[in-house]
Amino acid sequence: MIELTGLRKEYDNLVAIEDLTLSIPQGEIFGLIGPNGAGKTTTIRMACGLLTPTMGKAVVDGVDVAREPEKAQRSIGYLADFFAVYEDLKVWEYLDYFAHAYKVEESQIDARVNGIIAQVSLEVKRDALIRGLSRGMKQRLGIGRAIIHQPKVLLLDEPASGLDPKARLDLRNLLRWLQSQGTTILISSHILTELERFCTSIGIMEKGRTVRSGRIEEVTAAEQLKRDMRIAWVGDSTSVIQTRLTAHPHVASAQLADGSGTFQFGGTDDEVAALLADLVGAGVRVKAFGEVKQTVEDLYMKLSKHEVM
Amino acid sequence: MLKFWRNPEFVRHARAELRPARAVMVGAIVVLLCAMIALACWSDRQTILANAEYSAQHYDGEWTAYAAGSRAEDGSRTWLLLCKWLFGLQGGLLTLWSLFACAQSVTGERDRKTWDFQRTTSLRPTEILIGKLLGEPVVVYFAVLCALPITLMAGLAGGLSTLTLLSAYISILAGALFLGLCGLWLSTLLESRSRGVGLITALGVYGFTAGTFGFATSWFPGLAAFSPLTGLHAVLDLSFNERKNVTPVLFGHSVPWLLVSLLLYLSFGAWIVLMLVRNLKRDYEEIRPLSRWQAVGCAAFLNFVFYALLQVPADRSTHSGLDSRIIGTFMVAINAVILFAIGLASLTPHERLRVWWRKRAEGATGLFSEDGLPWPWLALSAVVAYALLVWGLLAWRLSLDFHTRTFGTAAVQLLVVLVFITRDVLFIQWCTLTRMRQPVVKGFFLLALYYAAAGVVTAIAGISGEAATVSALGILTPIGVFNPQIEWLHFPASVYEGLALQAGLIAVIVVGISNRLGRVGIVAPSGD
Repeated sequence: MIELTGLRKEYDNLVAIEDLTLSIPQGEIFGLIGPNGAGKTTTIRMACGLLTPTMGKAVVDGVDVAREPEKAQRSIGYLADFFAVYEDLKVWEYLDYFAHAYKVEESQIDARVNGIIAQVSLEVKRDALIRGLSRGMKQRLGIGRAIIHQPKVLLLDEPASGLDPKARLDLRNLLRWLQSQGTTILISSHILTELERFCTSIGIMEKGRTVRSGRIEEVTAAEQLKRDMRIAWVGDSTSVIQTRLTAHPHVASAQLADGSGTFQFGGTDDEVAALLADLVGAGVRVKAFGEVKQTVEDLYMKLSKHEVM
Repeated sequence: MLKFWRNPEFVRHARAELRPARAVMVGAIVVLLCAMIALACWSDRQTILANAEYSAQHYDGEWTAYAAGSRAEDGSRTWLLLCKWLFGLQGGLLTLWSLFACAQSVTGERDRKTWDFQRTTSLRPTEILIGKLLGEPVVVYFAVLCALPITLMAGLAGGLSTLTLLSAYISILAGALFLGLCGLWLSTLLESRSRGVGLITALGVYGFTAGTFGFATSWFPGLAAFSPLTGLHAVLDLSFNERKNVTPVLFGHSVPWLLVSLLLYLSFGAWIVLMLVRNLKRDYEEIRPLSRWQAVGCAAFLNFVFYALLQVPADRSTHSGLDSRIIGTFMVAINAVILFAIGLASLTPHERLRVWWRKRAEGATGLFSEDGLPWPWLALSAVVAYALLVWGLLAWRLSLDFHTRTFGTAAVQLLVVLVFITRDVLFIQWCTLTRMRQPVVKGFFLLALYYAAAGVVTAIAGISGEAATVSALGILTPIGVFNPQIEWLHFPASVYEGLALQAGLIAVIVVGISNRLGRVGIVAPSGD
């Protein structure tokens, strides 16, 4: 659905994006992660036709964005990290304007406008001037604008910045709903916990390049040579556990305290099961034993060199 | 193409600016103003009438007939006066407002950060253009609409024909649309937070177009038709002072002012539309007014306009010293301005120039590339300008004191101008490769500083005699060639020395540009 091939963008003497290639299939929520200045915004602006790549091409829904921008933009919804709106319009007029600008079929526009107004919970403000809305309402209206034409692709540049917790929750739910409708979403953020909750794939960017990209579990698996394990037990078995773990060839850096501890394990799932059986066989009353799931944040910290942070 | 009244951008402006309360208020103000102007016109006529009757009572004779005539025509004269005032006000207001509203259009959107959202819609540049052109000044269009019935009524009662009234409105509308296009292009060229600069420049544009009125008595009377009020003046037979009997010519034939106005607005407007359509949806850094071939075409068009509007006395015995050398020199001077403007329009953005440089190093592109340096295209534009000069002079040869040697003289003049302009344009191109902010503006000012310094040097050199002045002018500026008395190729030696010096400078600048482009790009954050 989104194909970025050999993208390069230069600004004067700076190479902002260098040889960026990404392929995002339909229905994915792809999180673009990276510090400020990594090139996330530039990538998104090129993908939606706001910037022309120095080299390479961006194809959205089979349309080359640079060659046929208006055609490609029918399939694209764009949301920036700022929520600029036409303050002198009414809420419904604003959405009606963008519905027409995106060339939504005339017969569908009224229903679409009313539907979006309900979706972003602005029914009571339908006929109010935008300048009278609160910041949160304007942000919701901005989100409504981005999806008024039911885009196949949604490009979101730091959409959660400046949103209050409730609005973030609403945004997350909206994105999940859009994904369930088949919308492909490319979202950039440096708030990693935000992305982790709903992204299906990630791409880690640094200095204009992608360090890693793919489905979260694949990227995690590829990077995870040793998995983090957690153990909890009942009774005074610390020394027994310590002895068994130290002796095990796949265990590293075990840290045990009273009743719980963590260690790194480099073996297979069968070997994990064997270790657990060994501990239980040695009389350890294990009450919890499992793998600590690696977060996107952990992964990012592992992969990133933080050169521009 | 969407119909303009259904154009989303137009509808947005109409909705925002013509809410019922405001529309009623605007309508009421217009009616009130019309009533006040009507009263003023009636009062004026009454004063004239009273004076005429006073004169008739005291002096008899012609005054009695005059007073009787005035009394008989009083009604229609008052209406006519009202109609002319209303047309004048509508014309002035619509053209001025259209220019200023459009001049803040794109800049305003950039300031409010709404521009990106509009650019990512499926609206084509033409649709955005039409929406903004008609939508930005929608309040004034509405005001004119409110005044329309009153104006028509006054005009018909004043004895004007329907055709005259229609022509007057066409004249106003054409001027407003043309100036609106100028304003829109201006606002496209300005970065955000430059609205003040935009307004000042718009004021300059209005002053310039209004000032073209002065061309009515020049060799190019048709250029006066650029003034928004020229067509209106002519249509309504307003006082033209000493220019009352002046008519513009097109290829030597007298044509109505309105026709020339429409032709000029249409042709120049088409170029502006072309530039807007190419660039309206582009990022600010990626704006390139015209493609290379379009730039050459524009240079040819501008030259063509001058030859088309040139007025040469039909009877050779009546003209005073208008010979081919003067026309040739004048056209070369005009081409200095045209070539500089074309050079500015052909500057290549840093990013594209770097790509061209790399491709050129690989042998994948040539000098005449779309993304290359502008000088080959400047040279081509100069060749086209010269060809048109030859054509123009030959076309007018029967009406001029024609000298075949003019062609040789003009060739050298144009060569010198081309070399200086190339140097200046390449210097500004070099500025765009440096880290200075607004390099084109700064480069322009640095060049202005250079020419001011050259003027000072010439003045100082002038102390030691005229020869030194000629030398300084010839070496430092292209002004040395603008002497219509020069025969054939007998220019002062300093002109040729200056030519060689500037060629050397061009080589230095090209090396400087090459060095800049040769630097390896740093992979670094874009600052997103």
